[in-house]
Amino acid sequence: MPENNSRRNFFKTSAIAVTAGATSANADSLKNPGREAGTFRYVGDKTKHYVMVVDLRKCVGCQACSAACKVENSAPKHQYRTFVSEFEIGSFPDVKKGFLPQLCNHCESPLCIPACPVDATFKRDDGIVVVDNTMCISCGYCVDACPYDRRFMNSDTKVADKCTLCAHRVDEGLLPACVETCVGGARVFGDINDKNSHVSKLLASLPQNVLKPYVGTNPQTFYISLDNRVEKIYDETPSINEVLRNELKSINQDQSKGVNNEK
Amino acid sequence: MKSNRRNFLIGTSAVAAASLTGCGYNKTLKIASTINSKGAVAKDSIYGDSLETEGKMFNSYEKDEDFSIRGSVCNGCTSNCGVRVKIDNRTEKVVKVTGNPYNPLSTDPWLPYETSLQKSFELLGKDSADNIKYRSTACARGNIVFDKINDPLRVLKPLKRVGKRGENKWEEIDIEQLLEEIVKGGNLFEEGDVEGLASIRNLEDPVNPNNPEMGPKANGLCVLGTGDDGRKAYMVHRFVKSFGTKNYMGHTSICGLSMRAGEAVYLNNFKKYPHLKPDFEHCEYLLTFGTAPAQAGNPFKRQAKLLAEARTERKLKCVTVSPMLTNADSIAVGDKSEWIPIKPGGDLAFAMGLLRVIIEENLFNKSYLALPSKEAQKAAKDASFSNASHLVIQDKVNNGKFLLQGKEPLVVDSKDGTLKLASKVNQAELFVDKTFKIGKTDVHVKSSMSILKEASLSETLDTYAQDSGISKEKIIATAREFVSHGRKSSIDCHGGTMHTTGFYTTYAIMMLGAMVGNLNYQGGMSAGGGRFKDFKGKRYNLLGYGGKVKVKGYRVDKTRTAYEKTTEFKTKKARGENPYPAKDTWYPFVNAIESDVLTNSSQAYPYKIKALLSWNANFIYGQSGTQHIEKVLKDPKDAVGLFIAIDPFINETSKYADYIIPDSVIYETWGVIAPWAGYQTKTNTIRFPTIAPKQAKFKNNEPICMDSFVIELGKRLNLPGFGKNAIKGNDGKKYAFDKPSDFYIRAFENIALDGKPVPDIDDKEITLAGLEPYVSTLKEICGKNWKKTAYVMARGGRFEAKEDGYKNGKLAHPYKGMVSIYNQILGTRRHAITAEKFSGVPKYYPSRFNDGKLLRDVYTIKEYPFDAFSYKSNVLNQSCASSPGILDIRYTTYIDLNPQTASEINVKDGEIVNVISADGKIKGMVRFRNGLYPGSIGIEHGLGRDGEGAVDVTINGKVTKGLVARKSGVNINKLGLLDKSRRLATLSDFVVGSNARQAIPVRVEKI
Repeated sequence: MPENNSRRNFFKTSAIAVTAGATSANADSLKNPGREAGTFRYVGDKTKHYVMVVDLRKCVGCQACSAACKVENSAPKHQYRTFVSEFEIGSFPDVKKGFLPQLCNHCESPLCIPACPVDATFKRDDGIVVVDNTMCISCGYCVDACPYDRRFMNSDTKVADKCTLCAHRVDEGLLPACVETCVGGARVFGDINDKNSHVSKLLASLPQNVLKPYVGTNPQTFYISLDNRVEKIYDETPSINEVLRNELKSINQDQSKGVNNEK
Repeated sequence: MKSNRRNFLIGTSAVAAASLTGCGYNKTLKIASTINSKGAVAKDSIYGDSLETEGKMFNSYEKDEDFSIRGSVCNGCTSNCGVRVKIDNRTEKVVKVTGNPYNPLSTDPWLPYETSLQKSFELLGKDSADNIKYRSTACARGNIVFDKINDPLRVLKPLKRVGKRGENKWEEIDIEQLLEEIVKGGNLFEEGDVEGLASIRNLEDPVNPNNPEMGPKANGLCVLGTGDDGRKAYMVHRFVKSFGTKNYMGHTSICGLSMRAGEAVYLNNFKKYPHLKPDFEHCEYLLTFGTAPAQAGNPFKRQAKLLAEARTERKLKCVTVSPMLTNADSIAVGDKSEWIPIKPGGDLAFAMGLLRVIIEENLFNKSYLALPSKEAQKAAKDASFSNASHLVIQDKVNNGKFLLQGKEPLVVDSKDGTLKLASKVNQAELFVDKTFKIGKTDVHVKSSMSILKEASLSETLDTYAQDSGISKEKIIATAREFVSHGRKSSIDCHGGTMHTTGFYTTYAIMMLGAMVGNLNYQGGMSAGGGRFKDFKGKRYNLLGYGGKVKVKGYRVDKTRTAYEKTTEFKTKKARGENPYPAKDTWYPFVNAIESDVLTNSSQAYPYKIKALLSWNANFIYGQSGTQHIEKVLKDPKDAVGLFIAIDPFINETSKYADYIIPDSVIYETWGVIAPWAGYQTKTNTIRFPTIAPKQAKFKNNEPICMDSFVIELGKRLNLPGFGKNAIKGNDGKKYAFDKPSDFYIRAFENIALDGKPVPDIDDKEITLAGLEPYVSTLKEICGKNWKKTAYVMARGGRFEAKEDGYKNGKLAHPYKGMVSIYNQILGTRRHAITAEKFSGVPKYYPSRFNDGKLLRDVYTIKEYPFDAFSYKSNVLNQSCASSPGILDIRYTTYIDLNPQTASEINVKDGEIVNVISADGKIKGMVRFRNGLYPGSIGIEHGLGRDGEGAVDVTINGKVTKGLVARKSGVNINKLGLLDKSRRLATLSDFVVGSNARQAIPVRVEKI
């Protein structure tokens, strides 16, 4: 599409840094034709509010979800839309196992959406955050912006990629692949607008947590029985973003001191 | 220093933990810096390259015409879960696998069997109120290993070796030519004459001319299989017993024979070799040794699911006794999960310690153990009974045998202290050590329970604590907690017992169950729910045919025969010589030892085999210590003159074959299988080709696979039971056996007709189940029953209703036999080399060789300070090198080490080290784990391959280079030890001969 090409050329030739202006996904103007047209897969079902609940008491770290997602969504080698982190918490003999399935949290106030300079990523009316891969210019800002590191640059398509809550299945009345196959029964998917849904009932009856609540993204993936020791390890593990920043900082410092760079 | 920082970014675990996308941020930079770089265009702007859905679910389910969903069985591991295979009809390829909601191994509760297929899809829709209830899953393996079907290195055409055995140089050969060569023999490789199968198949002349009691020449063919995938009965009954050889072995001796034999002795059943598993669903306290639900275990998913559910929604506390912190544990469930770290091989000491506490403190279920007979059990409304009160003769005459009157045991009635028939007593005396006058003779007897008490008290708690690595306090606390849940305490063990004393370890662990009387109780132990009649059923006996051979003589693995019955023994005795030691070990109550076949043949003891037919058996990888026996397989003049492998892959074992015949892979295969155990209701899971197999074909258009191969081979050899009129109908009619479907479809039909026959399928379901390609075959074979057979195929098998698994708090399918506190068969046998009498009850034995020398006296702690053990992977299996999907999730394995231990030997996380045993050496990367018993070395099993694409292979002159990625990881079996007290054998359990692949004494060396 001509419009797309001009956008890409624009960034190639200009040195303008794009600032993350909008603070809310909904404040974006609908520059996406699919969205403007109200094409279903761009906007979803506005009567629904989809969320994921992960009951950690039932997660056994089997990686069935990681495997199913890979197969279902053709994620390239070494790249995953969802994965289960395994931790050993404590030192011998007081050690416990911790599991943390992670996926895009489909935040209410995501940081990825305002970071995108071309509105290629947006939140559907049913809550699912998606990427229009024909609009994405591969700048990587959204990957950088996500405080959960749940976005990646797909090495096959070379555009931003992430969990879509299997929108392609949900839109046809089916469950996401990871939920369908969760051996322990930890993952539960549904609509919290429906008070009788499984997710509503779980969230009404059990205390729940989200990851990094302090970044203000209001994640819509809820964890039951998230032990604060697991949270601590998760929080203390630096995001790529921070690691890169620190690394670049120290490399720049060395450069300014005139130290030779090694390739 | 600079390069370290850059490497830190790419390879650091911190980055990996943070992103888990694996490639780190540098990839983003690379892509972002050339914004114009083009990637592949995705199929859809929002849905990307996600799969097309198999159907839509709005008001009702509408299947998409482009896909077929067929029922089958996954063999990513040996659980044999029922799954649904999604096939793209346009490409005829499997694109996805999910659970079969009718199948108890993939779903709990599972669908009522008569649920319509339409409903079975609707119930799993996103808005269904029951989509959690009937959620049917596949594990990581199940979701991905179908990619093996498309491995470019798969053997699709028959191969013959060129060059020497093991050089991995092959030429394609026409299957008819191959059959000709293996049947006729001759100078097939310019290495001298090779005896062909026609000559070997001789039922008259002896295989060992000096010892005709060893059976006919036909015993010179040995067939090695692997875990049953639903085709074992076919191979054994239709081929092995038609050929007439006694030698069929499965993989048990390298897998879990120590467990199998220990449980067989506990249940006193050496014919059927049953084994028990906990009723996970209702268990309140599970004490599991080594094997752990969700880490491993069979059935894998069912155990994991029930563990997760029972610990969250019910009362289950799962206590795992293991050198490693397993995935059975979770911080999220607090006190519902406990890890008891133990020294590798310390399990026997721990179990005996628990028994000691339970007996000493009188914590056992007295009124259960005092039930001496079936009659007493019934009167007490209990679920089993034991021989705890039966009396074992202590005199020289009949030593070790039960005191009988006629055929019935005598016990002491606790009411009046007199000797009575067990059937006439409701509660017998448990502890008896007395001399009775029987007729004119004084007979000194001890009850089984007294003997058990003596055995468990023969070591102090301090010794048990020291040798297990578990404190006295913990042993006492665990014993007391174990007995406080009535019948709802369970135990489990499996591959962790595969060391030199694993047999008694299992017996001791099972004995804990006897102490609480948990057999056949809800929440206790179960022998499984059984199966509908399949191979021998309502309409056909598929296992019987005219001319089927009653196989005779000795098995080459020396199982099922007592040394005392051999000519060698009798000859020595007749000469007045001490008959002990025998030339080598013998195993009277063991069912199969694959791991001794080649070495026994090499020693020509008991005799030499002439031909080896291995079927998907990769024992060179799976057996600990094969680096020492590869040489006898390599030389055609040594262990076996003709080696034929049926294997879809060229692996560590099939690379030594003379000929390789392809086989079908996963969803291309036939079969009927029931779960091993861990289920309470009748379950038959079936498999049939869901896609056309990829292999070359026979002239009759059948793809070459094990099943079609043995038919053609059988016909060439003029063996009975093939061809016209070879299949018996119960009504006297006979049918042809020319193709695998002739057998398996009829097995499906038997299942459909068993008991109350299943309903007829309706046309809609034929479409929904993708069975159109089978309709004409079904009509032809099953006639008027075709719609019932199709009903079974549509549901992936036949599965009894969940409610039918229990009755009044007990199992509906109980194990009906007696529990053996003391086992007479065991207690009256001697070790063939040391002549020592085996203890008839569980007893503590330290690790040892077959001559009685202690392992740790020969391989001292000073020289070999650590114990290496392997653990089952929750993601890998032992043949996943050909699955790129599995290797993506877990691409390597490590030398797991506790950081304390590592600091003592100055080894760092990520360092490459050598691990060295007395007979082997491996190299690997150290990975720190706090969840590891100090001084132990843990190795996840499944990688470190030298086959299945890991090494160069030449076919028709074209070299395919080995892929480094498939070599990655560590294979613990290369550390395996020889038992140098035997002529040539790998180390094994001293009673039952199971391969000792755990608790290997090792040291670590920095490189």
